[in-house]
Parts: sequence; structure tokens; C-alpha cells
Amino acid sequence: MALQHYRLPDVGEGLTEATVLAWLVAEGDRIAVNDPVVEIETAKSVVELPSPYAGVVSGLLVPVGQTVEVGTALIAVEDGVGAEVAVANEAGAGAEPEAEAPEAPASQATLVGTGPRELKQTRLPRKTAGNTLAAAPPSEVDVRTLAKPSVRKLARDLGVDLAAVTPTGPDGTISQDDVTAAATQHGGWTGFLAERGETRIDVTGIRRATARAMVESAFTAPHVTEWTDVDVTRTMELLERMKTMRMFRDVRITPTVLVARAVCVALRRNPELNSSWDEKNSQIVRKSYINVGFAADTPRGLVVPVIHDADAMSTYDLAVAINELTRTAREGKTQPANLVGGTFTITNIGVFGIDAGTPILVPGQAGILAVGQITRRPWVVEDRVEPRWVTTLAMSFDHRMVDGAEGSAFLSDMAEILRDPGSTLILA
Amino acid sequence: MVQLSMAKAITAGLSRAMDRNDKVVTIGQDIGKLGGVFRITDGLQERFGARRVMDSPLAEAGIVGTALGMAQRGYVPVCEIQFDGFVFPAFDQIINQASRLRFRSRGQVTAPIVIRLPYGGNVGSIEHHGESPEAYFTPTPGLRIVTPSTPADAYELIQQAIDSPDPVIVLEPKRLYHSLKGEVDLDAPPSGELDRARVVRLGSEVTLIGYGPMVSTLLSAAKVLADEGHSAEVVDLRSIAPIDWATVETSARKTGRIVVAHEAPRTSGVGAELAARTQERCFYALEAPVLRVTGLDMPYPPSRVETDYVPSVDRVLQTVDRALAY
Amino acid sequence: MTSTNAWTPRIVGDASEHPDDLATGTPADGIETVQLLDAEGGAVRHPTYSPQLSADEVRDAYRTMFLARRIDVEGTNLQRQGQLALWAPAKGQEAAQIGAITALRPTDMVYPSYRELAMAMHRGLDPVAILQIMRGISHATWDVDALHFGLFAFVVGAQTLQATGYAMGVTLDGADEVVLVCLGDGATSEGHVSEALNFAAVFNAPVIFLVQNNQYAISVPNSAQFRGAPAARAAGFGMPGVRVDGNDLLAVHSVVAEAAARARAGGGPTLVEAMTYRIGAHTTADDPTRYRSREEEESWAGRDPLVRIERWLREQGTPDSYFSDLAAEGDELATDVRARVLALTPDGITELYDYVLAEPSAALVEEREQVIAYLASLEGR
Repeated sequence: MALQHYRLPDVGEGLTEATVLAWLVAEGDRIAVNDPVVEIETAKSVVELPSPYAGVVSGLLVPVGQTVEVGTALIAVEDGVGAEVAVANEAGAGAEPEAEAPEAPASQATLVGTGPRELKQTRLPRKTAGNTLAAAPPSEVDVRTLAKPSVRKLARDLGVDLAAVTPTGPDGTISQDDVTAAATQHGGWTGFLAERGETRIDVTGIRRATARAMVESAFTAPHVTEWTDVDVTRTMELLERMKTMRMFRDVRITPTVLVARAVCVALRRNPELNSSWDEKNSQIVRKSYINVGFAADTPRGLVVPVIHDADAMSTYDLAVAINELTRTAREGKTQPANLVGGTFTITNIGVFGIDAGTPILVPGQAGILAVGQITRRPWVVEDRVEPRWVTTLAMSFDHRMVDGAEGSAFLSDMAEILRDPGSTLILA
Repeated sequence: MVQLSMAKAITAGLSRAMDRNDKVVTIGQDIGKLGGVFRITDGLQERFGARRVMDSPLAEAGIVGTALGMAQRGYVPVCEIQFDGFVFPAFDQIINQASRLRFRSRGQVTAPIVIRLPYGGNVGSIEHHGESPEAYFTPTPGLRIVTPSTPADAYELIQQAIDSPDPVIVLEPKRLYHSLKGEVDLDAPPSGELDRARVVRLGSEVTLIGYGPMVSTLLSAAKVLADEGHSAEVVDLRSIAPIDWATVETSARKTGRIVVAHEAPRTSGVGAELAARTQERCFYALEAPVLRVTGLDMPYPPSRVETDYVPSVDRVLQTVDRALAY
Repeated sequence: MTSTNAWTPRIVGDASEHPDDLATGTPADGIETVQLLDAEGGAVRHPTYSPQLSADEVRDAYRTMFLARRIDVEGTNLQRQGQLALWAPAKGQEAAQIGAITALRPTDMVYPSYRELAMAMHRGLDPVAILQIMRGISHATWDVDALHFGLFAFVVGAQTLQATGYAMGVTLDGADEVVLVCLGDGATSEGHVSEALNFAAVFNAPVIFLVQNNQYAISVPNSAQFRGAPAARAAGFGMPGVRVDGNDLLAVHSVVAEAAARARAGGGPTLVEAMTYRIGAHTTADDPTRYRSREEEESWAGRDPLVRIERWLREQGTPDSYFSDLAAEGDELATDVRARVLALTPDGITELYDYVLAEPSAALVEEREQVIAYLASLEGR
């Protein structure tokens, strides 16, 4: 025995609700399919509704005069049969003990049709995971490297050859991280052009700033460069000894540490090199503090992070500071505060396998020291020719502030300290 | 401020326009005595008389063609075409005449008419009553095409369309006529921005672009995305000819990912134009290809399966998932 | 019951002196409305037309009309019960439809509009095929060639051009066939209908344009639809036009039979305007109380096509049992149709890709695969 409910349908006149005007049957009446059971008033007119069910009226569910929404059950009819036959419900409705009225679609007043069905405003529950709207996989015959436009542009800007990059992005594509990693490894422009012709690189950001600074410096300060070759074997031996010392156990010791120490000593003795030129006031400003800058080549260009008061640091602290500085520069994360205030700069061109150069002063500084590669070279030691650790020190200075004698004195102090680290005891 | 359904908002907008300008007249099938099959012109004939609210013979070409003539005589006709699927007898008058009069005559003759067209599906109806034919009109130079997504928009757009010196097709989402209610400021003068899109929800990771009945679908999708920790921006184009590219491109550059939704079939739809132009203008800002969620490339199906045809919230979300994966 | 093919008409007068009682909605345009059986079932003598149906044939026609109305009522009820999106009632137009179609051969092609339930049933179309359109299960899908009955046309008047073309094909074949196309009073305003009439006349096509003038196109009465009656306009296109009482089965039959004979003999097209009344609303979504009066509806109720034939049948001696048996048959048919309609399930949307092009394009195939995959991934599908 199944209880059927006749729910108020959308009778197609743009109604969302209707008022029950009169019941045409009573509880207990036996009715046939299509017997008019109720008179309703819509916003526009009066409509008689015919019963979809045959059976005995078991309940009039809405009192006369009440206004109800479409979908509200109006009347219950006991149809005297089992589960409702031949009712097409939407898939998934299943057999329910109390059969619902045959799908009266959730109405909406449209005046034509049944109106929109209720649509789920959420994700639908899934049987299988995975996005069926995935794009077609890349064609097997693709010869081009796969990277999206923004990644290609980045590669161009950084001078990275996509053909040499291992893709780790989705769908076998080269990701942005893949490109930046490749750029950091190669350290700059690799010079490979995939096609013959020209490539244009926009000059922005750091490169632009650096260029401006170099122009300012090169064409304002009269640069003089002096160089000298130095037998640094003893410094190298000192380095080896330092590496075994417990004090330096947890810090990386490189020649740069000792060069920096030497610079601090030499600057104390030759303060002209620790000055800046004040054009406006026609003054030379001599600094008593020593802030050493270390030129670093990063993926984004040349930056010169500075260690402030390097002369006041212990060798250990200096080593730590240099390591930290190198790491952050390579990651492009140098703090802005550490990029200003330098009084003297060291540039390590030895990492490029170069001996000497003519470095350009950092604007506002009096001197910049280029340290070349430390290699085994034939050297005269007590009238014998022996292989020794030799490097070239090349220093440019601003001839407005530093005259030849002063510049030479600084450089020769540097040479002496590195040739014979023990002389520091005398010179410092 | 009042709460109005979209249908009543359009009625109010029409009424206000007819009040402000005696030259505004309306013509269409069953719009007078009956008040229109959707009751949009309900009460207007009583208020303004049969001279200004004309029941026309059953002839869409006749409705649009005579409107052009009335316009040339100085009237501002608002045509009602009864259903999207029945606009085609008027196609010649729209394409060969209305859209070109100004161009043909170098401004000597113009076509300041409005063509109101209920459109869109998921209304449970039979053939020709649930279509989205906008792509037959959007490539036509000389036509303006607008479509409201809210009652407030509908109130504004109908008045702006009537004020416009160009021929304007107002596509009215019929499934929202009576089901969607919203706040309408009846005293606000229309702000004159007929071709301005609107960012209806701010977001940062993906831009969802739609118009008419799809806007609420996109807003629902954005809500789900927010619950899932993603920020979606929703742009309601409002005008699909011309498109407000400034708003679209700003959003595209901001998020880098675009998903377009429309009920009309995929091929050569408005989504195709959006995809072409944004990839052209915002190439480097894009993190993913422009993706479209659309009606299928088949004629509008029987209503029992139309919910598989019209883009659902779930399909939009699946497409957004794809865009975010790039 | 003894069947007899002869019947004894109760003559009520000659056409010339019998007033045209179709005063409502009929313009005073001097065009005669042919009538052979008045509203009370009395025979009218006409100078040109005479009844062509035997008593048995009338009884058969009545049965179809009755069953069609029974199914029509069921259609309205099903809509009121939320089972159909829409129903466009044919109630009141049964004689116009059956009178016309019985004047044709079963192999003559008929192009309906969207209200020709009675004609469809006469041709043997299962009413469920029509109800399923209204239920949103499918569009029109019946076997047009087998039934010689075209698809329901919802774009008003578009079928007239196709019917004319079909008739042009009949001429090319030299076949002994006529074509009947159905349209309403509103349809005659559409431009393509004028084109069809003109083409038919120019090509001398064997097509009968049956305009069922049910007085309204939704809410628009004839007076706002046209000033020249469809029957009068025929001459303007170069073909004969006849107006007939559309609720008079015998008159419609005779007029269409004459037009069919003319077409078969190479005499070209005819326009037949059948004056009838749309007893119900335009569709179940419509509210006629907004534009027509109860008085008008009641006066047309007095001209009901079924009532006058029932009266005539009873006068001819048809017993009560015939009518109660027929009512029972109608209820049984309606119950069966109802059950089958409620059991209908639609094809999945992906089936429909087979019907876009003769052979689907690669892009369509790809889209279909995607939709199949998407739907298959959802729970409950």
C-alpha cells in the first residue's frame, strides 16, 4: 500500500506559489486519475488541478486560504498498490518506502516549460579521481622544448638555453624553477644562440642600476690601475693550518678571508684608500671605519654586499660573515642595508681563471682591489726557480684622492702581508 | 531601494524610459493585452495606451523592420522578440539593415532601436525556447549587445539601451526573469556605461569571465574555490559587443589565468574571441591557456538532458582545476 | 448495431438563406463560410459542396476525433501534474483536422504545425511520440516517410516552404499525390508563408494550405493579426481560397476533397481557411482570461465539433452503448498513454552526437569522448 503525494507543480504561468481556494474532494473519498481535486489561485488565474493518482484520499495537506510554494505536497492519496509502477524518476531516485510524487521538477517561474532544474552549486561527488577535462597530452613529435610563454621569456632574460634545461614541470614542461636553477648554475649568459641573428635583452633592474653606477664612476673618477704579482705560498700554508684549527672547525676558510684581513690592515696604514670624494663641498672624506664590499656575480647581475666594520671583527667572525654574504648574494637575498656604505671593495676575478684586470671603482670609493687566480707559477726563491703559489693583485684607485705613491704604498703593503703573513704583526 | 525580480526590473526600466520620453514605443507579439508571454510589458498598455504599446502580427522581420522605419521618423522603438529561437526571421533586418544604416549613410540615417530577446536554457522547455544565439550577432559591426545578470543591471541596461543612439540587442536571461530577485534603486539614473564590464568578485589566482545566466554559476564556483583555499575573480561582461577589454585585460594580467563560461556552443563563441584577444595582448602575463566551459557543439538538446549541456558549477570547477595546474 | 452507409439528413435550409452563425471573429468581408452541418447537427444544402462521407466514415471520423480529444485532455492533465513541460491543446479543432485528413489518401504527405494531434492519431502516430516532445525526452523523431506525416514545427510557418518544396518534388516525379500543410491564423503573417504561397502558385504545386483559424495567435485576435482574411488573400497569390466552417466535419472534408481533386488534376494549390476555435489556451503556460471573455468562449462551446457530430450520430440511430463504449476505450487508451509517458527515459546526451552530422567530425568525436569521460566520472551516473 503506497501513500502518494501530489505536490504543487509549476502550472506554467510564472508561478512560484499558489493559494488553495477550494478542495473539491474530502478525506476518505475514492478518486480516479485526473479527477479534479483542488482549485488553486495563481498570481494570474484560477486553475483546477487533476489528481495524478487513483485511490483513497488520505489527507488534505494544505488548508483553504493558505499560500504555498511550488513543490509543496497538497494531498496524500493511498493508492492501494505496491511501490509505484512506471514512474520515471531521475536516475538515482531508487525505490523509497514512501514513494515521492512523480518527479515534479523544482519549479521556477518561467511561463514556458518546467523551469530550470535545481542545479548543484558545488562540486559533484565523483566515482573516479582525475580531471577528465585534462588537455590532450603533448604530441610525441613535438621537437620544441615545452615551456609556457612566461617561462620562455624568463629564460631569454636570464640567458638560459631551454634545450639544455631538464624539465621537471607538469606534462613534461620546463618550469620557472627549472629556469632559475639553470641560470644560477651557469652564472650568466652562456652565449649560445639557437638561431642565427640577434637577441634583444631588456635592461632592467639590477643590470640597469649597475650600468648606471659604472658609467658614473668610470667617467667621473680618474682611474689608475697598478698591479703586482705576489708569492702567496705562505698565505696558502697558513690557510691549510687554519683549516685544521678547532677555532675554524665549523666555518669555511677561503683565501678571501685572509685577503680581507690584509685589506683591513693595509687600509689602516693607507687611509687615503678608505676615503670618498665630496664634489659638492670640495672635500675628501676620510673614514675611520672600514666597510669592505665584496663584488659578487649573481643571476640577477653584479651586486656588492658589504661587511660593515670588517676591521673590528675577529678572523672567525669575518669568515662567517663572508660565507653568509656569499650565500645570500647567490640566492639573490642580500638585504638592502648590506648593499650600501662600503668604503673599499674586493673583487675576486680569480674564480674566473683570470689574473688581473682594470676594475671599475664603486662610485664614492677610492679604491678597488682585484684578486686574480692563485696558481702554481715558476718563482725565483733564493736564486732557484721553484713552483710557488702566485697571484696577481690589481688595484684601481681614484687619482683625485690617491696619488701614485699612496696607491703604490697600499698595494705593496698588501703584497707584503700576503707574501709574508707574519709581517702583519709588524705592520698592523 | 526595492526588491524586484529581473522581469519586474525590466518592466520598471521600460516604464521609466517611456515616462521620460514620449517617443519611446514598444512593439512585439502579445505584449499589449497579455503583457507579454513573460509578463515583461505587464500593465504598460493600460498605462501608456495601445499607440505606444503595440501588439504586432506574428512576424519578427516585420517587428524589426517597421521599428527601423519608426526610428527614422523620430521614434525610439523597443522591439520584443518572443524567444531566442525565433529571432532568425528578423536576421536580415538586423544584419543587413539595423547594423549598417549609420555606416551606409555616413550618419545620415541611424537605427536607435532596441531589440529585447529572452535567451538561455535550462528552463525545461522545447526546441527554440532555450537557445543562446549571441554568436550570430557578436561579429556584426554596428551592433551593440548587452545582457544583464541581476535585476539592478537589467533596470539600468534597458534604460541605457533605449538611450543609446546605436541599435542595441538586449539579451534577457529568461531563466532569471522570475527566479532571481535583487535590490534595485528605482531613482538612480542610469550611469551611461553601456559597454562596461563589472568585476563582481575580487580575486587573485584565476579570472572567471561570463555574462547573463552564467554569472551566478561563476559566483557559486568562486565560493567553492574560496572554501578550498583559492581566490577567484569573477568578471561580468555585461556587454558582449563591444567587450570592455580594459577590464578584462587588467584582470588577466593580475591573475594570469582565465576561464570563460557561456551556454552557447564552444565553436566560434564569445569565449573564442576572449581567448584570442587576451592571449594576443597578455601573452607573457598568462600562466595557462585561456580555457572555456561552454555548451556542447550540438543543437540545443531535449530538456531532459539539458543540464548536461549547459555549463554547471562542477564543470567550471573542473576547468579551473585544469587552469591552476599549469 | 447495423451499419449503414446511407444517412438521412435533417435539412435545415439552403446555404443562401442559412445565416452564417460564425459571427464572432468572422469579418464582414463578404466571403462565404461553407457549412454543410450546422451546430445542432442539421444539414445545410449547399449549391457547390455536398457531403462526401458515408455514415460509417462519419462514425470512424468521430471516433478519431473523440479519442484525440481524450488524449488532449490527458496531455493537459499531465502538464498540471508536472509531468510535461508544456501542452498545446488541440481541443476544439478536431473536425478541422480530421475533416481535412480524411479527404486525402493515406499516402498523401501532411506537414503539421504543432497542434495536429488528431491528424497524427488518424495517421497512426502513437500519441506518446508527441507527448515525449512535451516531456523533454526528445524532439520529434517519428518515421515521416512511413506515416506520411511530417515533424511538428515550432518555428511558426516555416513548414509551409518545406511542404511547397515537397509538392514541387511530387510534380517533378509526376506522381499522383497531394500535400497538405497546416498553419494557423498567426502564421499567415510570417514572411516565409507568403513566400510559400507565391512559390506554390508559380510552380503550380499540388499543395493545400490548411489555415486552421482558431481566432487567436496566443493573445492576438484576427483583427490585430491581419485585415485581409487568409481565404481572401489566396486570390492575391493566384490560387483559389475557400473559407469553411472548421467545426463542421462534413464541410471541411468536402472542401479539402475538392482542393485535392483539383491538385491531382494539375490545377495547383488551394488555400482553405477553416474557421474554428481554440477552446483551450495557446499552451498550458497561457492564461486566456487575460484577453478573451467567458461569453465568447461559451458561444463557441455551442459550436463544438464533437457535439454536433454526436447529435447527428444519435439522430441517425447510434445507440448510447456506442458512446459509453467509446468513452471506455478512450479512458483505456489514455491510461495506457499515461503509463507509457511516465515510463519514458531520455537517451544520454552523448547519444545525440550521432545526429549532428551524417558522419561526426574529428572535433565532435573528441568532444564526445570528453563528455563521456566527464559523466562517467560522476557518482550516480
